[in-house]
Amino acid sequence: MTTSEDIAAVRPGTSMPAAVAVLGTGAIGQDLVSKIHRSGVLDCALVAGRNPDSAGLRYASRLGYPVSAGGIGAIIAAPRPFDVVFDATNAMSHIEHHELMRPFDTLLVDLTPSRMGQMVVPTVTGMHAPAARDVGLISCGGQASIPVAHALARNFEVAYIEVVSTVASEIAGRATRLNLDEYVRTTQHAITTFSGVLDTKAILNISPAVPPATFRTTVHAIIAGDEPDSGLVAAVVADAATQVRRFAPGYEVIDCAVNGDQVAVCIEVMADSDVLPGYAGNLDIINSAAILVAEQHAARLLFAARTVVPR
Amino acid sequence: MSAVLIHDPTLRDGQHAVRHQLSVTALRGYAEAADKAGIPVVEVGHGNGLGASSLQVGRSAVSDDLMLSTVRDALAHVKMGVFMLPGWGTSDDLRRAMAHGADVIRIGVHCTEMTLAERHLGFLAEAGAEAHCVLMMSHMATPAELASQAALAVRYGARAVGIMDSAGHFLPADVTERIGAIGAATDVPVIFHGHNNLGMAVANSVAAAEAGARIIDGCARGFGAGAGNTQLEVLVPVLERSGFPTGIDLYGLLDAADFAGRELMSAPPVTDSISIVSGLAGVFSGFKHQVLDQSRRAGIDPRDVFFELGRRQAIAGQEDLIIGVAAELSGRRGNAA
Repeated sequence: MTTSEDIAAVRPGTSMPAAVAVLGTGAIGQDLVSKIHRSGVLDCALVAGRNPDSAGLRYASRLGYPVSAGGIGAIIAAPRPFDVVFDATNAMSHIEHHELMRPFDTLLVDLTPSRMGQMVVPTVTGMHAPAARDVGLISCGGQASIPVAHALARNFEVAYIEVVSTVASEIAGRATRLNLDEYVRTTQHAITTFSGVLDTKAILNISPAVPPATFRTTVHAIIAGDEPDSGLVAAVVADAATQVRRFAPGYEVIDCAVNGDQVAVCIEVMADSDVLPGYAGNLDIINSAAILVAEQHAARLLFAARTVVPR
Repeated sequence: MSAVLIHDPTLRDGQHAVRHQLSVTALRGYAEAADKAGIPVVEVGHGNGLGASSLQVGRSAVSDDLMLSTVRDALAHVKMGVFMLPGWGTSDDLRRAMAHGADVIRIGVHCTEMTLAERHLGFLAEAGAEAHCVLMMSHMATPAELASQAALAVRYGARAVGIMDSAGHFLPADVTERIGAIGAATDVPVIFHGHNNLGMAVANSVAAAEAGARIIDGCARGFGAGAGNTQLEVLVPVLERSGFPTGIDLYGLLDAADFAGRELMSAPPVTDSISIVSGLAGVFSGFKHQVLDQSRRAGIDPRDVFFELGRRQAIAGQEDLIIGVAAELSGRRGNAA
C-alpha cells in the first residue's frame, strides 16, 4: 500500500490551487501558513484565530492573507466552503469543530491528538487521497516513530513497541501541555494500528534545556524469536527514514542499537521551516505530513475538475 | 516546634536501585512493617510512578494494579501514596489508583514545567483527592522560579507542594533558601525530598524542616537510585532531636529498615564515584544503571557520559539521551543512518 511513487507525484504544479484555511494561530498554525505559502497547489484563503493581536494573525497578514479573530465561526461563515481546513487548535476543540464542519464538503486536517479522523502517516498509509473528510495526523511522536515501528513490524516478529519523544519546552504550547493524556492514548492507538503490535506504550518528555534540544523520538522494540541481526535492523530503519525524508528532510536516524532481543532507534528531526527554529522538528514533521495530505487532496480535486470537461 | 509528616517512597523511588524488580512479597513485608511503625504515608509504584513501566526506564516485575492492591491490603493504619509524571501516566492511571484506595497522589513535573500538571491537578481536585505536587530536578531553577511554579501548583489544586533534589546536588544553604521562598509564596505544606549524592541528604532535610518544610521524604536504608535517598531511620530520630516530632515509633522504624536492608536490596546504596559525579553534574541518579550499561558497551568512561548529560541539561525521563550521548562520545553517531 505504500507509496514513494505516490509521494513523488503529489506536487503536480497547477494554476488552480485549492482554497485552504488555517484554524489556530500558535506555532503550528504559523508554520502551516508558511508551508502553504511555499506550496504551489494550496492557496491560503483564511487564517482564523481567537485573539486579534496574536503573532500568528500578524504573520499571516504580513504575507497578505485574509485573517479573522472569529475562530471556527469565521470558517463556517465564509461565502464559499474551503477545500481544506487545518485544525491547529486542541483535541477538545477539534471534537466540536468536527461537528460544526459536518455540513460542508471540506477536508478537515486535524493537527490535534483528538483521534477523531482517519489516521494518516504518509509513508505508511500511502498517498491515495484519504476517503474520509476528517483526517488525523496523530501526534508529532506518532509521525516520527510510526514509519520505523511499521518497518520493524514488517521485517521482524515484534512483541512490544515503545515510543519516547522529547519536545523542547520552548515550543510546547498550552494545547500540547493540556493534551498530554490525548497524546499518549492517540499515539499508542496509532502505533498498534500501523504495526499490528498490541502491546505499545507512548511517553512524552518536555525538555527545558537551553539552548533548546532538537526534537527526538526513540523507538524501543522487543523482538520475539531469533535475535535480530543488527545490520538488517539498520538497513530496514535507514530505508524507512529515506522515505520520510522525501517530505520531511530534517528526519535523521542518529543511532540504531541492537542489544539481545531489544532494539532502540533514536531519531532526531530538524525543522525545515521559514518560521520555526531548527529544534522544532516535532511541529515540522506533523505539519509537513498535513501539507502533503492537503496537496494530495488538491491534486484529486484538480483531477476531478479535468475529467469533467466543460462543453 | 511543629510536627513534620514523614512520607516514605521506599517502595517507589527505591525501585530505581533494583531496576523496578521488587516482588509482591517484598512489597507486602515492607508495607506491613511501615504500617506497624506508624510511618504516615507509604508510597508505592514503579520508580517513575504510575504507568511508567517501560524499556526507557525499566519494566516492572509487578503490575501497577498488583503493587497497589498488595500495599493497600498491608496498610491498616497509615496512608498509601502514589506518584505520577504527566506524559508517562495518564488520568486513567490516576483513576485506577484512586479505585485501589490511594490516599495521597503526587504529581511530579520538571521544576520549570508546572503547566504540564494543570490538567491532572485539576482532575484530582475535582475528584476530591489529596493531590500533592513535587518539582523535580529543582537545582535547575532559581528559588524565585521554584516559588512561582509552586504557587501555580497550588492554584491548580495541589494541597501540598515542594521540591525534589533529584540529582543530590544541593547543600543545606541552597535548601533553606528554596524552601523559604516556596513557603513565602504558598499557604500549603511544603515538601522536601533529598538524594544523598554528596552525603548531604539528612542535613538538607533538617535544613528544610528548619526553613518550614512540613512533609519530608525518607527511604529505609536510603533505598533509591545511585547514592540513594535520605535515610529514613536516620532522618526520623535526627528530626525528633531537632525538635520536629514525627509520631513514628523508633523500634518499629528500625525493624522496617532492617526488613528493607534484608529483603529489598542486595546491598544498601553507597555514595560511589559515579554517584558523586552524577551529583556534581546535576544529573538524575536514576540514570546510573543505564549509563554504566551503555558506557561499557561503547567502551567509554561513564563519568564523561554523566558530565555530558549534565551539559545537555538532561531531565528525568530522558534516558534515551544516554544512548545518543554514548554513541556520540564513542564516535558511533551517524554510522547507523
